[in-house]
Amino acid sequence: MNPIRDAWQSIFRRDPLSTDKGKSELVFLNVWLHIHPAKVKKENLKVKHTFYLGFITFYLFLILVTTGVALMFYYRPHPPQAYQDMKDLEYVVYLGTFLRNMHRWAAHGMVICVFLHMCRVFYTGSYKRPRQFNWVIGVFLFLLTLGLSFTGYLLPWDQLAFWAITVGTNIGSYAPLVGGRIRELLLGGHSVGESALLRFYVLHVAVLPSVMILLTMVHFWRVRKDGGLSRPVWKLKAESAAKVVTIGAPAEPAFRVVPASKDKTYGLMEVVTGKPIFETVSAEEEEDTVFSYPYAFFREAIALVATVISVMAVSLFWNAPLEEMANPVKTPNPAKAPWYFLGLQELVSHSALLGGVVVPALAVLALVAIPYLDPNPSRRPADRKWAIRAFAAFAIVNVVLIIIGTLFRGPGWALVPPWVHISGAE
Amino acid sequence: MPQLFFALSLIALALMLAVVWQASAPAWKTYQREFHRLEAVGEPNALTKNAMLTTPLDIRQVLLPGLQRVDRCTTCHLGVEDPTMRNAPQPFTFHANLAPHLPARFGCTVCHGGQGLATDQQNAHGKVEFWQEPLLPREYIRASCGRCHKEGEVPGVPELAEGRRLFETQGCRGCHKLNGVGGSIGPDLTEEGAVRRFPEWLARHFLDPNAVSKSSPMPNFHFTKEQARALTFYMLSLTSEQMGTYYSSVRLIPSAGYGRQLFVEKNCIACHTIGGVGSKSGSDLLGVTKQHSSGWLDEQLVNPQLVYPGSSMPEYDLETNARKAIVTFMASATAEDARSILAGRAKPLTAQEAAIEAGKQNFARFGCVGCHGIQLQGGVPNPNSQGGEVPSLLHASDDYTKQEVIKIIQNGKAPPVENSKKPAPPLYMPSWKNVLSEEDINRVADYLWSLQKKRDAW
Repeated sequence: MNPIRDAWQSIFRRDPLSTDKGKSELVFLNVWLHIHPAKVKKENLKVKHTFYLGFITFYLFLILVTTGVALMFYYRPHPPQAYQDMKDLEYVVYLGTFLRNMHRWAAHGMVICVFLHMCRVFYTGSYKRPRQFNWVIGVFLFLLTLGLSFTGYLLPWDQLAFWAITVGTNIGSYAPLVGGRIRELLLGGHSVGESALLRFYVLHVAVLPSVMILLTMVHFWRVRKDGGLSRPVWKLKAESAAKVVTIGAPAEPAFRVVPASKDKTYGLMEVVTGKPIFETVSAEEEEDTVFSYPYAFFREAIALVATVISVMAVSLFWNAPLEEMANPVKTPNPAKAPWYFLGLQELVSHSALLGGVVVPALAVLALVAIPYLDPNPSRRPADRKWAIRAFAAFAIVNVVLIIIGTLFRGPGWALVPPWVHISGAE
Repeated sequence: MPQLFFALSLIALALMLAVVWQASAPAWKTYQREFHRLEAVGEPNALTKNAMLTTPLDIRQVLLPGLQRVDRCTTCHLGVEDPTMRNAPQPFTFHANLAPHLPARFGCTVCHGGQGLATDQQNAHGKVEFWQEPLLPREYIRASCGRCHKEGEVPGVPELAEGRRLFETQGCRGCHKLNGVGGSIGPDLTEEGAVRRFPEWLARHFLDPNAVSKSSPMPNFHFTKEQARALTFYMLSLTSEQMGTYYSSVRLIPSAGYGRQLFVEKNCIACHTIGGVGSKSGSDLLGVTKQHSSGWLDEQLVNPQLVYPGSSMPEYDLETNARKAIVTFMASATAEDARSILAGRAKPLTAQEAAIEAGKQNFARFGCVGCHGIQLQGGVPNPNSQGGEVPSLLHASDDYTKQEVIKIIQNGKAPPVENSKKPAPPLYMPSWKNVLSEEDINRVADYLWSLQKKRDAW
């Protein structure tokens, strides 16, 4: 009769972690961990394969949810109060500035990390069969991240927020036929005002995060169901193209049993579909795998702590910007959208139709369609030079346009290098 | 791997401690401790002394929904209402002559400027980026009186009334909007006092606009230093804030000067006499405050019929403080006042003269003088227009008919360009038809024609 041991055992039912069974049970008897396989391939734990960018993005999202909920306790989504609450956070709420800094910098970091994660997945060809649909979900998660960042941008209700959203929603309104309507629906009026603030708030704290969480769950689940992480490209190099067995292909004529690995948590599915879901198998696989505990979990925990440390360190030294209270009659020159839309604004400054409609629409469509348009089955970088070059060009043009829009555009959207100080711009 | 995890966790903990440490010692706590120490210095009773020294440190704030602000200044400025702190160093110094503007009712920033919400010196004093109202320099603080006391006079601050008079007579409205009325060549001045501009900037700007704002099209009005100062005061008072009912009920100051102004405005001298001077149809007002109580006099101003049934005195719709001002003036009014008021009354005008006078006032008030000059002499530089200057209007009748001039005033006119390759001239004749009524425009034309000098025929 030991109630404490009883309680402990009612929570943790696994065998001791010193045993292989205990290590496996730690994973699949735990609702939070069972998204992992009990064993993972050593090669997939390598930093240089994924840079843990997906994990880092997810951790940033966790930081954002945590700090965001804390910020909600102090925030009223109504014009003069919203700004006053920013000032209260800065001057009277304990650690208020730090909280806001963390939320702000984690949000910027998440936009960057999602993009980098997407670049990594493209470079390693991991969007190819059978992971096509997960890439599509990833693109939507990227758009959601931008949407969350954009809606959050308005909430401080300062000049920066007000004009960035005014410019940002104006870019959207260039879309033919529906553009103006969408802008009106989003703002609850023809200009950014109190109803826009309320709508952006509801989108930011309720609608978009819910969708984000749902899609993230699907994204993670599909990672497992599509056979776990893709193999690092350097492993592919070693094998000849012919030896790579691509599975799940509907065109495959004969029923072919491929030897499964020993940790058969997916055995039932093989029976159901007749095809193993994982990608390739090789003889040396057995030696290549390690238990998730502790090898994967420690690495993930390290990524988590490193992410938290980075955000904390940045938040300790750099304050989130807060300008004057929003003033609809005082337009800053130049009025700029949030930085991740400045590439678009740069294009809009040359052609509204091109930058506001054609390019963003084509870019999103192209991103979604990539896995279905790429006819090349090989994932080896050597076999897909042009795909990699095209995507690199897309990424570089994007970054260059954003840099031009952010740093090189002065009053009247004139080309002004950042080291030239413009006096008397007032 | 576990070692790395452990090390990183330690770094995270250290960062957390750094954050807490950074937040733990705000300067206001140091100030409050110092203040309590100062307070306790002369305290003989050990118990009270101990209580003073251990007063909990907390942020103090005055919530002022009626003035749309929250002032936390008294978090550090703890001695503002404590006369024993008369000689204490800042930020604890006693504020002399506070009444009737007690901090509990008015806060601090409405007069002094600064950022009431902030709790550290630099931000609170507003000398930071993105705060539009830094603390006003000492000699300009009185300009803030005009933020609430927009009408009447403010005793001790003649600059405000003078600035307002200059604004209305020098034609500032020709280019600048104020509360919705005026031109659109220059910036709207409705919230000029709330926009980050330093008083020194404004003063220099009025002496020579181009000295502080290059290529400003605003002409140099050659104001004296005193006039520039008065205009600066007036500008600083323009904030267009919404005030709560309490604040608007006390915005009129019941001073004798304002009472005299009302006495003239309401033309009391048309019926009353003071010390025998004036019209004889009403009662003599000399010493009226000695004969009647102030309550009786107030009632008389509200409802003369109630006090004297059958009285021929009309009812005046005056606010409480305006009535008080008249009564205050009555207490000191003498026959000498009556004489000067009578002397100042305008002579009756013929219809024609009245129209010309009204035209002249419109000409000044709506800012025509800003460009065309008080004597219609023109001469304000307008680069790249033909002649390089705003035209004189003294000879308008040589070049135009009266109807044509009325058309130009109604619809505006772009000046003829000297060189089409250079930038367009900065000044242009705005359209007035949405600002002035047709009648007003006709009067302006009447005024212009009354001053026409025919050129010698040759």
